[in-house]
Amino acid sequence: MARDSAQPDRLLYLYGISAKAPAIKPADSVDGLSVVERLEDAGLVAWFSRVAPAEFGEKLATNMENLEWLSGASVRHQRTVSEISDSVTLLPARFGTVFNSDQSLLEHIREQKGALTAALARIEGTEEWGVKLFLNPSPPASPIEITSGRDYLRAKSAMVQTRKHTELDPDVVEFARELQSVAVDSAPSGKVSSGQNNLEWQASFLVRKKDRPKWDRVLKKYATRWADRREIQCTGPWPPYSFV
Amino acid sequence: MSTKADAILTPPPSSEQEASLLEVLDHVLNAGVVLHGSLVISVAGVDLIYLGLNVILTSIETALKHIHRQQLGS
Repeated sequence: MARDSAQPDRLLYLYGISAKAPAIKPADSVDGLSVVERLEDAGLVAWFSRVAPAEFGEKLATNMENLEWLSGASVRHQRTVSEISDSVTLLPARFGTVFNSDQSLLEHIREQKGALTAALARIEGTEEWGVKLFLNPSPPASPIEITSGRDYLRAKSAMVQTRKHTELDPDVVEFARELQSVAVDSAPSGKVSSGQNNLEWQASFLVRKKDRPKWDRVLKKYATRWADRREIQCTGPWPPYSFV
Repeated sequence: MSTKADAILTPPPSSEQEASLLEVLDHVLNAGVVLHGSLVISVAGVDLIYLGLNVILTSIETALKHIHRQQLGS
């Protein structure tokens, strides 16, 4: 008994929950070895893989600090979720969501059926887009003549300070508002890449597939307007990771 | 003739690849539905995952800065 609960043979790695169960066989899986399976209950479908506890159990937190492991696993997670999302509206699970047994997975789906169904209805027919603005670097303002170490540090500190903006440029606010008016919802982007150079602003948007042309028009308008000043980077469509 | 010296005659790795991995991490790790109490790692907790992420975050930032500096220097 004790052994069963402490060390199950396999863990269930959850990709997400959908309402329908199209007959698809995603080519990828989070560990690159297992197949993607489905369990249906209470009108909901759970998509998962049976993975090794050694990799996704207690060691998961340690593994996530290993950039090499995390890169591989997150890219495979993304591919799998994306592939399922191509055929059915999928509520993506948080990366690293694992269950001990079929039993525990089903129990939790049943328990949260209401919330899951509502969330599914909300993301129906939508996709996530990531938008980033990069400021094209301008030459540093009037470099002072450096004759001592102290001058150097002062100059350095001035440079660093000018890069820290506490308030967004009104142009950017206007851009964000216009994107929001087309999108269903918006959310702050993940923090992983917030250290990128010259990144001025970033956010994620939930956009209806049928509003794509409108969405593209707004992006194009600002890309033309800002030509040399800023670069707009738009990535997607993503499964609605940031909106569930 | 291809010599060892030719190895340096390639452009620096484009930051595009880095960026796309960053995008994946940004989105995949941003959120996602949480079924409370269901996580085997709930002892460690989701917070721990994000705590771990800070370490990665720093290493990615450092790597990016490094790449950028190389490009500027070249």
